[in-house]
Amino acid sequence: MGEFKVHRVRFFNYVPSGIRCVAYNNQSNRLAVSRTDGTVEIYNLSANYFQEKFFPGHESRATEALCWAEGQRLFSAGLNGEIMEYDLQALNIKYAMDAFGGPIWSMAASPSGSQLLVGCEDGSVKLFQITPDKIQFERNFDRQKSRILSLSWHPSGTHIAAGSIDYISVFDVKSGSAVHKMIVDRQYMGVSKRKCIVWGVAFLSDGTIISVDSAGKVQFWDSATGTLVKSHLIANADVQSIAVADQEDSFVVGTAEGTVFHFQLVPVTSNSSEKQWVRTKPFQHHTHDVRTVAHSPTALISGGTDTHLVFRPLMEKVEVKNYDAALRKITFPHRCLISCSKKRQLLLFQFAHHLELWRLGSTVATGKFLVSGKNGDTLPLSKNADHLLHLKTKGPENIICSCISPCGSWIAYSTVSRFFLYRLNYEHDNISLKRVSKMPAFLRSALQILFSEDSTKLFVASNQGALHIVQLSGGSFKHLHAFQPQSGTVEAMCLLAVSPDGNWLAASGTSAGVHVYNVKQLKLHCTVPAYNFPVTAMAIAPNTNNLVIAHSDQQVFEYSIPDKQYTDWSRTVQKQGFHHLWLQRDTPITHISFHPKRPMHILLHDAYMFCIIDKSLPLPNDKTLLYNPFPPTNESDVIRRRTAHAFKISKIYKPLLFMDLLDERTLVAVERPLDDIIAQLPPPIKKKKFGT
Amino acid sequence: MVQLRPRASRAPASAEAMVDEGQLASEEEEAEHGLLLGQPSSGAAAEPLEEDEEGDDEFDDEAPEELTFASAQAEAREEERRVRETVRRDKTLLKEKRKRREELFIEQKKRKLLPDTILEKLTTASQTNQNKSYLAVRLKDQDLRDSRQQAAQAFIHNSLYGPGTNRTTVNKFLSLANKRLPVKRAAVQFLNNAWGIQKKQNAKRFKRRWMVRKMKTKK
Repeated sequence: MGEFKVHRVRFFNYVPSGIRCVAYNNQSNRLAVSRTDGTVEIYNLSANYFQEKFFPGHESRATEALCWAEGQRLFSAGLNGEIMEYDLQALNIKYAMDAFGGPIWSMAASPSGSQLLVGCEDGSVKLFQITPDKIQFERNFDRQKSRILSLSWHPSGTHIAAGSIDYISVFDVKSGSAVHKMIVDRQYMGVSKRKCIVWGVAFLSDGTIISVDSAGKVQFWDSATGTLVKSHLIANADVQSIAVADQEDSFVVGTAEGTVFHFQLVPVTSNSSEKQWVRTKPFQHHTHDVRTVAHSPTALISGGTDTHLVFRPLMEKVEVKNYDAALRKITFPHRCLISCSKKRQLLLFQFAHHLELWRLGSTVATGKFLVSGKNGDTLPLSKNADHLLHLKTKGPENIICSCISPCGSWIAYSTVSRFFLYRLNYEHDNISLKRVSKMPAFLRSALQILFSEDSTKLFVASNQGALHIVQLSGGSFKHLHAFQPQSGTVEAMCLLAVSPDGNWLAASGTSAGVHVYNVKQLKLHCTVPAYNFPVTAMAIAPNTNNLVIAHSDQQVFEYSIPDKQYTDWSRTVQKQGFHHLWLQRDTPITHISFHPKRPMHILLHDAYMFCIIDKSLPLPNDKTLLYNPFPPTNESDVIRRRTAHAFKISKIYKPLLFMDLLDERTLVAVERPLDDIIAQLPPPIKKKKFGT
Repeated sequence: MVQLRPRASRAPASAEAMVDEGQLASEEEEAEHGLLLGQPSSGAAAEPLEEDEEGDDEFDDEAPEELTFASAQAEAREEERRVRETVRRDKTLLKEKRKRREELFIEQKKRKLLPDTILEKLTTASQTNQNKSYLAVRLKDQDLRDSRQQAAQAFIHNSLYGPGTNRTTVNKFLSLANKRLPVKRAAVQFLNNAWGIQKKQNAKRFKRRWMVRKMKTKK
């Protein structure tokens, strides 16, 4: 393996935005998640919970509701008063329609999927008809006194329940008039000055309405008579979300203290037909408010202000009790937000509205020091890391992707409406920036940007599926070629990889597989056969021009570009299969790199480990220990040879956001400890613990 | 002895006004008037009153005049009718005034507006601009939208983090675990570095100056 000096970087101040809404789609087993900065992410739950698409956020968009309608259409509504439909194929927003009711607080799709209901700030409930290409306003229901904060359809589509401040109304859909108005107590068996906000309602098919409110109560109402049936006090703080399963035998609620409660319909005695709702399980996986929950057929999904997305499979619903039934927590992004310029030792960090450029520190530890230094020593810094540049984006849109060229002279980033290219000049210790103006319109809304190894070419993958090659020279650019989308739709996020000699360009992002283009001749060279799991990372090795692809189910393939077929090593690995612990890792591999002098080594990492695969060593089978750290030197050679296998895994640096080889003897590892993220979140609810 | 002022005549002040305008057609009214202008006479039940009112100053222990119920009722009804009449008249006057004003305004506005042809052109033109790259927005609408959005966000912030909610700082939250360990540890963010910034800066500057002075005197 060799010895490496590692730059351990912790100054990437990455704080993800809190989760505001989730919406689960049963047909395609996908989850749409919207965050407080306006980003909407789509997770494919059958592809190992991988984030396959995302729509970048916007400063003025404060999404408050998200829902799926028939035909896999995704709608969101927010405080700017607009209903937006997302185009999942073209990865952009189809249209935004103003509902003319002020800020929209809640939205629900009818059980048939053809109608959409929104609850607005002025107390009106508006019904929209979903037409094949747009939505159309149908009519208003009776206007209520205060804002409508939650909506729920009866499964038959005849009635709706609307939760407001201090009361719940039941409307008849046909006439649009309010049938019942149920007053909610401000406090459980008491008096309070604070108004009771009904954060969530759910309408069951037997006419029961379940409401959760800010006093910490879960209440059951009878909609036929408009009366309270049962009241549970479950928390000292707000209960902010509710989701009912499709079979209506269980529902889940999330509280502001971070606890998620599971309620189930159980028979009163073991052989009676009468059933009642009982609070069965509490789960404490969050530290802050749980603003949203969803109930899939086998799992409870929750997300909130602490930015984790938690999937808790229910033991009684899961058929096979294997690793699939374990808790999944998604905290770190599934794509790389950092790019590195190896020549100048620069790192470019991508935030939502700005970019930061840092130069790595250096140490003067010379040969003498290194020889005596042992494994794991910390070398003193002679020069600290330098914050060179803080580049703010113009406009309210979030940055989609960014990249710095390997020589460090070009920075490019893209938002939905514009593409920015900057030229950097370094004089001694100063840095000056110059923007290249008049970028062509087809470059905007890029999904991925990549510079070639010699920094003369820029590759841009746009969200229409086209791949653009731009020639950079001096301070100007010239559009060379555009590869049009091949067969297959633009499905997943696009990833690019370029070979170090500049001849080959690999692009994933269509359902037809990874395409490899010949850059010098500007034509398609070959296509790697399609695999049913999305690609999470790609890279082309120097000299051998082997394309290494990592998928979301933790499979790694190696494809030889000149030979147009999988390499022998890859075939061997596929025949034997990966170690079961390797396949059970729950974070995707986000970056792959190579050693310039050792062609048999592949360096890859995910959030909790980094691994160097040595192709010359034998592969581990299921019985060998996968994670075997460096054995002590006094072990005999025989044992060392027996336990040595190809996968050298290290878990020293975690949680890892980025890891790369700067040169032959230096690695850079960007870590982001979870405590640093939590320290910058909004205040949580106070918890009283005995003895403090 | 309390000197009572001479009692005002029972006749209402507007009687004169009534006489000017109104037409006392019915005999009843005349009779009423007569009754009122003179001394109030009562029905069979009442007793006749004093005729001489100016004698009140001398005879101050006289009983006050007595009024019958019927006369008082008649008086009140008369009063009511008169008030109603005046109000109705005032209203009609105002209505007429308003109508005239409204017509005047419409005339003025018409004169101010552009001729209809140009207006029609504008309305049709605004629909065709949708496929261009710009968007015409009324600033007034945008301000209203922004203010509503701000109000909505303020509502959410108040209901989740405002007064009455039981929130604590992240530092205290993370330090709870430290307090319950078998070996108690300090809080996660034990030092408050934002304390006394000005004082620390002054101290630093003073130290630097003092060092320089010391060096000088040493030499």
